[in-house]
Amino acid sequence: MFEMFEYDFIVRAFLAGLIIATLASVSGTFVVLRRYSMISETLAHSALVGVAVALVAEFSPLWFAVLFALFSAWIIEYLRSRFFLYSDAALSVLLSASLALAIVIVSLGGSFNNSLFSYLFGSILSVSRVDLYTIAIFGSVALALLLYYKDEFFFMAYDEEVARVSGVDTLRLNFLLVSIIAIIVALSITIIGTLLIGALVTIPAISALQFRVSFNRTLLLSLSFALASVVGGLFISYAYSLPSGATIVLCSIAIFILSLVKNR
Amino acid sequence: MKFDLPIFDVKNLSFKVGDQQILTSVNFEIFKRDYIAIIGPNGGGKTTLIRLLLGLEKPSSGEIKVYGKKIFTSHHKIGFVPQRASLVDLNFPATSQDIVKLGVLRSKKAQNIESVMQKMGVWHLRDKMIGTLSGGQRQRVMIARALASDPEVLILDEPNTGVDVASQQRFYALLRELNQNEGITILFITHDTGVIADDINRLFSINQKATICNNPKQVLSCEDISEIYGIEAHMLHHHRHAH
Repeated sequence: MFEMFEYDFIVRAFLAGLIIATLASVSGTFVVLRRYSMISETLAHSALVGVAVALVAEFSPLWFAVLFALFSAWIIEYLRSRFFLYSDAALSVLLSASLALAIVIVSLGGSFNNSLFSYLFGSILSVSRVDLYTIAIFGSVALALLLYYKDEFFFMAYDEEVARVSGVDTLRLNFLLVSIIAIIVALSITIIGTLLIGALVTIPAISALQFRVSFNRTLLLSLSFALASVVGGLFISYAYSLPSGATIVLCSIAIFILSLVKNR
Repeated sequence: MKFDLPIFDVKNLSFKVGDQQILTSVNFEIFKRDYIAIIGPNGGGKTTLIRLLLGLEKPSSGEIKVYGKKIFTSHHKIGFVPQRASLVDLNFPATSQDIVKLGVLRSKKAQNIESVMQKMGVWHLRDKMIGTLSGGQRQRVMIARALASDPEVLILDEPNTGVDVASQQRFYALLRELNQNEGITILFITHDTGVIADDINRLFSINQKATICNNPKQVLSCEDISEIYGIEAHMLHHHRHAH
């Protein structure tokens, strides 16, 4: 089994997977506690629009994905804070808009459809060295910001208005949180894919919450579950020649079921 | 006679949502060491008034000065316990101590956590998950969080929601102690009109307009309650128990 690590692309896949698992699970804990579980799905679809536009304009899909995901994240937060839309309603509007826009661009695109579809499911085994460095650098910044403002994000998840009255700059930090999630999601879609990144953000956190332990322990459990899903998923997909992204997500679902059963 | 600068100075405050007028021309001042109960029917504007004082809503007209300043700048001088405090999500991943720590976020008052939890009688519950506590215990944890930053004012919105009668009596004894012994200004919304009259020094009756009473003992008769709430009221006399 371990002979697989003789291949550079497998080593890169593991490293990329572990970085994304870390980013997705830490950000996912805040996302789930804030009842924002659908935000990663929505931002992933917005990132897909960015990829489609970049393919038409012949620019870098990765950076257009980041740009569109960021723009979408800010619109979601603006709608929520300025127009007092429920979080899930704001997400639903943007998800539908992104999907519709992506379909229109796909239908106009013709020749690049195949390239675009590769972003739906991602391709962790084709991660390049440049992809890995990009994810590592931007991921480190995102993780550092998440951990620095961990207590504020936790306070806002507990009660946003009390946090605001207590002096937490909730407006600025809400925009920061959605921006960090947008960058994590956009960086991840080339690897895990648009359709699956949402699962890696939310499922480990939901599994961890079943254990009803303190916030720091929940964060660590969520991280452990995400890392286990990536490692387990990559091993199983290599052993049985299964699609790696989908196998990773199925592993996280298995952990979720075990968490439910253990804590019922 | 009051010579201090008022903590809250409210002038001609009005608030409406769409065409619905919630508060009309409300005027009052709140001074240091005041112990104020806000009563009134549901939908009368009590919670809106508190949200306006905390800067969570903007007035439609009129002005609110907090410590002499027009614009509310969030600071640790005001502790807030919202109505939903005792109805917290049972699965929220936080121990009692995690919640109290939020009160001293990025401040140098971390040493307050143990003393304030001891004072509220919840130090022994510090490692318990917040969702496993009773309504009364949760209420004390929430107040400990609000007190951890050494506030000068404590604002509570229906703090006894979901709390049993025995815990309510302990709660009022605690508020009295915080006000009388520690000089904390207290403003709270309640429907327990029969219990509060002996303790408070002022009563705000809010039903779109505000009626400010500086001698609550004289006001809280059956007739007054009937007028405030629009129902027939009968007064039951409570005997205070020492705990």
